Amino acid sequence: MKGAAALLAALRELGVDTVFGYPGGAIMPVYDALLDSGIRHVLVRHEQAAAFAADGYARVSGRPGVCIATSGPGATNLITGIANAYLDSVPLIAITGQVATPLMGTDAFQEVDIFGMTLPVVKHSYIVRHIEDIPRIVHEAWKIASSGRPGPVLIDLPKNIAAGEAHGITRLIEPQPPDRQPDAIFISRAAALIAAAERPVIYAGGGIGIARAIKAFREFVAATGIPVVSTLKGLGAVPTDEPLFLGMMGMHGTRASNSAVQESDLLIVVGARFDDRATGKLDGFAPCARVIHLDIDPAEIGKLRRADVALVGDLGALLAALHARPRVGAWRRRCLNLKAQHAWRYDAPGDGIYAPDLLRRLAVAADGELTLTCDVGQHQMWVAQHCLIRSPERHLSSGGLGAMGYGLPAAIGAHYADPTRPAVSVSGDGSIMINIQELATLRRYGLPVKILLIDNQSLGMVRQWQELFFERRFSEVDLFDNPDFAEVARSFGVDALTIDTRGQIDEAIDALLNHPGALLVHCRIDPAANVWPLVPPGHTNATMLEGAMK
Amino acid sequence: MKRTIELRLTRAEGAIVRTLGLIERRGFAVTAISTRSDASSETLLLRLEVVSADRSFDVLVRQILRLFDVRAVLLMESQQGDARAAC
Ligand SMILES: Cc1ncc(C[n+]2csc(CCOP(=O)(O)OP(=O)(O)O)c2C)c(N)n1
Repeated sequence: MKGAAALLAALRELGVDTVFGYPGGAIMPVYDALLDSGIRHVLVRHEQAAAFAADGYARVSGRPGVCIATSGPGATNLITGIANAYLDSVPLIAITGQVATPLMGTDAFQEVDIFGMTLPVVKHSYIVRHIEDIPRIVHEAWKIASSGRPGPVLIDLPKNIAAGEAHGITRLIEPQPPDRQPDAIFISRAAALIAAAERPVIYAGGGIGIARAIKAFREFVAATGIPVVSTLKGLGAVPTDEPLFLGMMGMHGTRASNSAVQESDLLIVVGARFDDRATGKLDGFAPCARVIHLDIDPAEIGKLRRADVALVGDLGALLAALHARPRVGAWRRRCLNLKAQHAWRYDAPGDGIYAPDLLRRLAVAADGELTLTCDVGQHQMWVAQHCLIRSPERHLSSGGLGAMGYGLPAAIGAHYADPTRPAVSVSGDGSIMINIQELATLRRYGLPVKILLIDNQSLGMVRQWQELFFERRFSEVDLFDNPDFAEVARSFGVDALTIDTRGQIDEAIDALLNHPGALLVHCRIDPAANVWPLVPPGHTNATMLEGAMK
Repeated sequence: MKRTIELRLTRAEGAIVRTLGLIERRGFAVTAISTRSDASSETLLLRLEVVSADRSFDVLVRQILRLFDVRAVLLMESQQGDARAAC
C-alpha cells in the first residue's frame, strides 16, 4: 500500500467520509489515492476556505474536520483557518503536502516550513518521515485533536512518503487514560460557595458546547436558578430566550448581563477563559466576585483571574456532581428587572431596514432551527445580540481570531455535517469579499446554503471605532465601490435578490427559509448604523455607551 | 522574577522549538539553557532559567504540560530551593 492510500485508509478507519481541500504538486499522490478511497472530497476555491469549512464541519458534528492542501502557497493559505481552530478550540486535522524529503531544507520549489510556521497555532504537528508511521500518526493526531481541549493538528506529508510503498505498518494502541472523577473535596468547596452566595452569576463559555455538556449545564441552571450570562461562543448553552438568560456579556453585551456580573458576589465560570472582549478591563471585572472556574484545561485556571475554587475535568461530569440550592430569589428578581428594563427595542425610525430587527425576525421565523454562521464585524455582533440561538453548534462565529471570511465556508462545512439543518451565513459587504469565491462551491455541489449579506457600504465595525475613538477621522473604511452583489452571485450561478426597505423583510425571510437552492439576499442598510451598547476599550464593563437606533 | 524549570521531552522533531517558543510567546524570557539526553536517548532533559516580571510560573507550567512531547516539568521553588514536581 502506498503512503497516500495508508493515510486515507487511516482516516476512513476513523470514520472520516468528507474532506475539504485543494490540490497541487506535492499533494498529488494523495489526490490520486482519493479517487479510490471512498472519501468525499469537497473542492473549495481557496485553501483558507478548506480550513474554515472543516472547522464548520467539526463544530456542528463534534468530530474533527479534515482539510488538505498542497505545499508552499497551499499550506500557507491554510494558516488562518488553523489559527481560527486553535483559538476557538476546534478539532481539525490539516494535511499538507511537502516537497520530497531529500529536497526539504533546500528552498525547493513550493517548499515552506509549514511545520515551523504553524507551531504557535497548533495543538500538535508532525512531519511524516517514514511511511510506516502514517497510520500511527493519523490515529494519534485524531486523538490529540479531539481529546481534552480540542484543537488543530497538522500533518505535513512529503511527496516521496506519500508516493512510496509501505513495508509493514506500525500502530500505537494507547491505553485510554482512566476517566478522571470529579474531586469530591473541590466539588464540596464549590457547592459551599454557591450555597453561601447572595448574588451569583453563571458565566457560560464555548467549552460547554465543545464538551457537549449542554444537558448537564441546563440541568445545573434549572436546579440552581442562578442567572446566566454568556460569551460569544457560549451563546446557546441555554436557549437565548430562556428567562434566566441575561444575554451576552462584554464589549457588546447587554446591560443586564454586564451589570449583573459587575454586581455579583460569585461567578461560576463554565468553560470560559476570561477573554478580554468578555471581561473588559480585567482589573475592574466583577470586583466583588469570588470565582469557581470549571474547565477541561488546567492551563486556563488562574491565567487571567484567580480562581477561589478550580474544578478541572469534563464539564458534564463536573456539573452533574455539583449540587447546590442557593437562596437567590431577590437577586434573580433584580437581574430579571435589569433585563426587562434594558430589553432590546426594534422600533427604529424610518422605513429602512434595521438589521437587528431583520436578524431577530429571521431566527424567530426559523424557531432557532438554523445553523447561523457569521463573518466578523457589526453584523456578527447583531447576530449574537438579537438572534434566537438554541444551542452552541447552531451559531458558528470566529470568536478568538475574529477572522473575516469565515462565514460562507463555515456554512459549507456545517451543511456537510448536517444537511438536514438549513445553514445561513450572515455576512458584511467587507467580509463576503474575503471568501466570495466559495459561491462557486455552492454552485458546483448544488448546496442550499443561504447568505444574508448586510451591506452598509463600509467596513462597519472599523468605521464605528473611527467614529467613536478616532475623532471621526475615517480611514479606508468606505466601500462605496462595492460590486453589485446580486449580479456577482448570479454570475456564479447562485440566485439572489436585493432588499432595502422594511416592507421587503417578510419576502426576504421567506426566501431565506424556503428557497430550494443557494441564495444570496443582499440587504442594504444605513451606512451610519452602529452596534450598541458598547464598552469602550480600556474601560470596565460598568461603562457602556449607548447610541441612537438607525 | 527568575525561576528554574526542568523539562523532560520526547525526542521528537520540533519538541525543543515548540517548548521554547511557547515559553517566549507566553511572555517569559529564557536566559539560560542546558540540555542532555537520557541513557536511552528517547527523552531530552532541558534545564532552563526563565524570567518574567509579572506572569505566573504556575500557569506557564500548566501551559507547557499541554504540549504533547512534554513528559514532565519541574518548577524549582526558588533559585536555591526545592523542586516541585508538576507531573
Ligand atoms: C481577515 C480580517 N481582516 C481584518 C479584520 C479587521 N476587521 C474587523 S471588523 C472589520 C470590518 C468588517 O466589515 P464588514 O464585513 O462589512 O462588516 P460590518 O462591520 O460592516 O458589519 C474589519 C476590517 C478582521 N477581523 N479580519
